[in-house]
Amino acid sequence: MRKMFRTFIAAGALALAAVGPLAGLAAGSADATSLSDIQKRGKVRIGVLTGAPPMGMVDEHGKPAGYDVDVANLVGTMFNLPVELVPVTPPARIPALQTGQVDFLVATLAPTGERAKTVMFTTPYSAFNMVVVSGPGKVYNVVGDLKGKRIAVNRGSSQETALRRANVPGLELVVYEDDATTAQALLSGQVDGTALPSTVAAALLKQMPSAGLQVGQPFFRQGNSMATLPGDFELLHYLDTLIYLMKVSGQLDAIAVKWTGEPFPASLPTF
Amino acid sequence: MPYELRLEVLAQYREQLFDGLLMTVWLSVASIAAGTFFGVVLASLRSVRGGPVRFLVDAYVEVIRNTPFLVQLFIIYFGLPTLGLRVGAVTAALIGMTINLAAYSTEIIRAGIESIHKSQIEAGEALGLTQLQIYRDIIILPAVAKVYPSLCSQFVLMMLASSVCSAISTPELTAAASYAQSQSYRSFEVYIAVTLIYLALALTLRGALALIGWRLFGRPGGRAVQPTLKVEAV
Repeated sequence: MRKMFRTFIAAGALALAAVGPLAGLAAGSADATSLSDIQKRGKVRIGVLTGAPPMGMVDEHGKPAGYDVDVANLVGTMFNLPVELVPVTPPARIPALQTGQVDFLVATLAPTGERAKTVMFTTPYSAFNMVVVSGPGKVYNVVGDLKGKRIAVNRGSSQETALRRANVPGLELVVYEDDATTAQALLSGQVDGTALPSTVAAALLKQMPSAGLQVGQPFFRQGNSMATLPGDFELLHYLDTLIYLMKVSGQLDAIAVKWTGEPFPASLPTF
Repeated sequence: MPYELRLEVLAQYREQLFDGLLMTVWLSVASIAAGTFFGVVLASLRSVRGGPVRFLVDAYVEVIRNTPFLVQLFIIYFGLPTLGLRVGAVTAALIGMTINLAAYSTEIIRAGIESIHKSQIEAGEALGLTQLQIYRDIIILPAVAKVYPSLCSQFVLMMLASSVCSAISTPELTAAASYAQSQSYRSFEVYIAVTLIYLALALTLRGALALIGWRLFGRPGGRAVQPTLKVEAV
């Protein structure tokens, strides 16, 4: 028995020793990346969303593709530097930025008050509406329709935030790791509906024409921004300038039409 | 801007983390009990029955041991509803963990049973023990005692693997951690905390299993100790 306890204590001490430096590492690795740092490195590392068609996904050749990827490559051309695309899943977006794996995010990240405490947002470069997709025989057009329903959401998504904030009585949010799994939960009948960006919903209906899925009226409109580390004003302003240039040159509209079928909404407020 | 480690933000998620911890403990204990039970039954079945029974048991064991746990969960949670059998996320997790653990314990206990020498059984027969006594005291108990350390390792692995169940929305510890992470964006704080919680859980589980082994087989870890056989006078 005594030997066993000794082993346990040793294991515990070892774990603390392992976690300690990790914390130190975390503390040190997220310094802001200045523009000159990126120029000096000769390469710009951009975090792009993956697993959320048509914004970010992998194409038939296994390469990143989608709205975010096109915008990120365009940013790279404007930087005049080779681009390293780093695919990130929705929950990993902000951590990837915080740990210095990427210089900034072009990852369909919607500005929210909570997130703005952690990262800095550029003016929006893409936008979509949030809808609830449901099975045959029912359609959810307003938030009140979700009373007492089980609705799938992607963890950490703006849909989750919006629906939690809406505080609908009896609404149960069932959380999955990405949009594709929320769609699967709907198709398997594990939930009554899934909250998705309208672009993703359209792609889902196109892939599954026989499932009898229905798309309700949009609940919320969401703009998506690029994001940098807090304090990275130089980079932030540079990206804002690039977004402005993409908008006036019509390049952004071209990308938006290619992936969503609609130009960038001119009515979306900017900041 | 240097990253500031702020562990105090975890306090506001303590309820979710505690509920997640309870769910992980419950799933682990229930699947260990059920998995061991089915493991003993299946390993015994395949050792006494030849032919199709042995083939079926072996096929089950090999299919489960050679496919990823996550895929097994997806098939139960997303696949079964297409056959008209819908199970919730917690039930699906429990079924998945039990099926998975039963396959591993069948294989481990099979090895234990095969290590029992024929002469032991013959000795039992010569002493006039009943079939049930031979099965219980000469085959199963010594077999499980021999492989008990391997079984314990598998139990701990299963407890840790239960973290995968968050992918099908089972509200266990990792799901609670992901929730806290996605709300607070404090991923380091959250994952450092759950690492320590899992470590404490695993060590507690090992300790509890060692105590059970000690009770059952006479020594912590129960290393290959033959229980003393009480033979009544004939």
